[in-house]
Amino acid sequence: MQIDIKHIAKLSRLKIEDEKLNKFETEMQNIIGMVEKLPSLEDKLSGVDVNNTMELREDVVQPSLKRDEILKNAPQTQAGCVVVPKTVE
Amino acid sequence: MELYRLTASELSEKIKNKECSSVEATQAIFDRIEKTEDKVNAYISLSKESALKKAQEIDEKIASGETLSDLAGIPVGIKDNIVTKDMLTTCASKMLYNFVPPYNATVMDKLEKCGIVVVGKLNMDEFAMGSSTENSYYKKTKNPNDLTRVPGGSSGGSAAAVSAGEAFLTLGSDTGGSIRQPASYCGVIGLKPTYGSVSRYGLVAFASSLDQIGPIGRSVKDVAMLYSEICGRDDKDATTAVREYPNFAKNLNGSVKGMTIGIPKEYFGDGVDAKVKESVMDAVKVLENAGATVKHISLPSTDYALSAYYIISSAEASSNLARFDGVKYGYRAENYESLTDMYERTRSEGFGDEVKRRIMLGTFVLSSGYYDAYYKRAKLLQQQISAEFAQAFSECDLIITPTAPTSAFKLGENIDDPLKMYASDICTVTVNIAGLPAVSVPCGNDDNGMPIGMQMIGPKFSEQKLLDTAFSYEQLMGGSIVKIAEL
Repeated sequence: MQIDIKHIAKLSRLKIEDEKLNKFETEMQNIIGMVEKLPSLEDKLSGVDVNNTMELREDVVQPSLKRDEILKNAPQTQAGCVVVPKTVE
Repeated sequence: MELYRLTASELSEKIKNKECSSVEATQAIFDRIEKTEDKVNAYISLSKESALKKAQEIDEKIASGETLSDLAGIPVGIKDNIVTKDMLTTCASKMLYNFVPPYNATVMDKLEKCGIVVVGKLNMDEFAMGSSTENSYYKKTKNPNDLTRVPGGSSGGSAAAVSAGEAFLTLGSDTGGSIRQPASYCGVIGLKPTYGSVSRYGLVAFASSLDQIGPIGRSVKDVAMLYSEICGRDDKDATTAVREYPNFAKNLNGSVKGMTIGIPKEYFGDGVDAKVKESVMDAVKVLENAGATVKHISLPSTDYALSAYYIISSAEASSNLARFDGVKYGYRAENYESLTDMYERTRSEGFGDEVKRRIMLGTFVLSSGYYDAYYKRAKLLQQQISAEFAQAFSECDLIITPTAPTSAFKLGENIDDPLKMYASDICTVTVNIAGLPAVSVPCGNDDNGMPIGMQMIGPKFSEQKLLDTAFSYEQLMGGSIVKIAEL
């Protein structure tokens, strides 16, 4: 199958350097060639394991991390906020 | 005997009986690391100072007569995708080169309460994507049994450290075999627990529906001891099961009499090395001679499992790794023109090629026009595989297969061929797809002296039976099946 690697990279928010485009394209084609060998099974999906059901916790207010603890890892901050490039012109 | 050679359970007894202190054991591990780490490269970061301080605290508690957990004072290494408060957590990626988490994973909270001593953070394939630990941004870990070979992956550092005597126990994570395959390659014991038995809170997510944290050690009892402390319901992870767990280590029972072991023919096909098949079947014979019954079975969808695994895991990865955008933590590109440009440059410079391949594969199989042909088919196959296992477990107690089709390959041998690399997961991925527990146990060596592993698979939440059977094999083989690599 032909893969539009530039389009997939764009959807993935990745930039592939021009000199690597061919390599990635071939590799992706091989990988997709491998994974496309799947049988078509009758469609009766059930996402639930009835023997081991999940349970949600009670929704109780609890202390969480402090703002300055979280911001310590941010690449750029200002006045308690994360700084990013301008998003609206 | 040098202290680092003890198993964790032996060390635990000695610490309790005051025959040695936790500080002495911790010092012994760092001395060993000093001597061997240059060759092995198991750790991304070491925490000697805090380790010795913690060991000192434990020794003081013991001196004052406090009753402590069996793991108190034991030096343990942690895979670098498990977040540790105030301790660098990189996932072996440039993307998280500077990430110092402000919180602990639930397993770390639990183990800190037990009084474990954290030796350091262990090397891995970047974001746990790989089968050789060669995808680490930082270093290549070597197999301690032969330094020209890979330790397996993605928990290569975790398995290598245990094999080299650089930790008594380690934590790894397993999405498609990442605990069991390196345990097999390095000749140690690794348990991938039932999905939902160990909290994933604080495990940096790769494929959330498949990931599980689990222990790697040098004896079955050690692995059982660590597993007993990390399992259990966690309100911070809604997928953890609500149930009670026994103390697996204290309950270990070494009898296989009357047990039925299933041998699925699909796991002994052409792609599996003859010597691997022979070693695994020799081990099965040992259990048979001890009173187990062998039944030959079939799991027909096994051939499709690798495809389903790479579709499902990459689909989830493409979504999970969207969070690495250079905004709130980790790497951010230096030069960019707009917000989108910042995302793209950050991700392109921060991720390695294998991570990019998986993100793009995941994006592709979920994209418009392809979802039904790939992702949906894979999910249907997942149900089919689970159903086949359930059918098999109606006629046998557990299933034995090779852990990997070969022993450890050479560094660089498969790195340029993703498909060859993926094929080393062929025996392990089905277990994650079906959410089952499995343990890898050393069962011999090939002609190059490299360890071979056998995989025991059980129904969901059958860890006690799995560990009992592994323990039984260990006893039948003379009490010890793991050798520390001579370095």
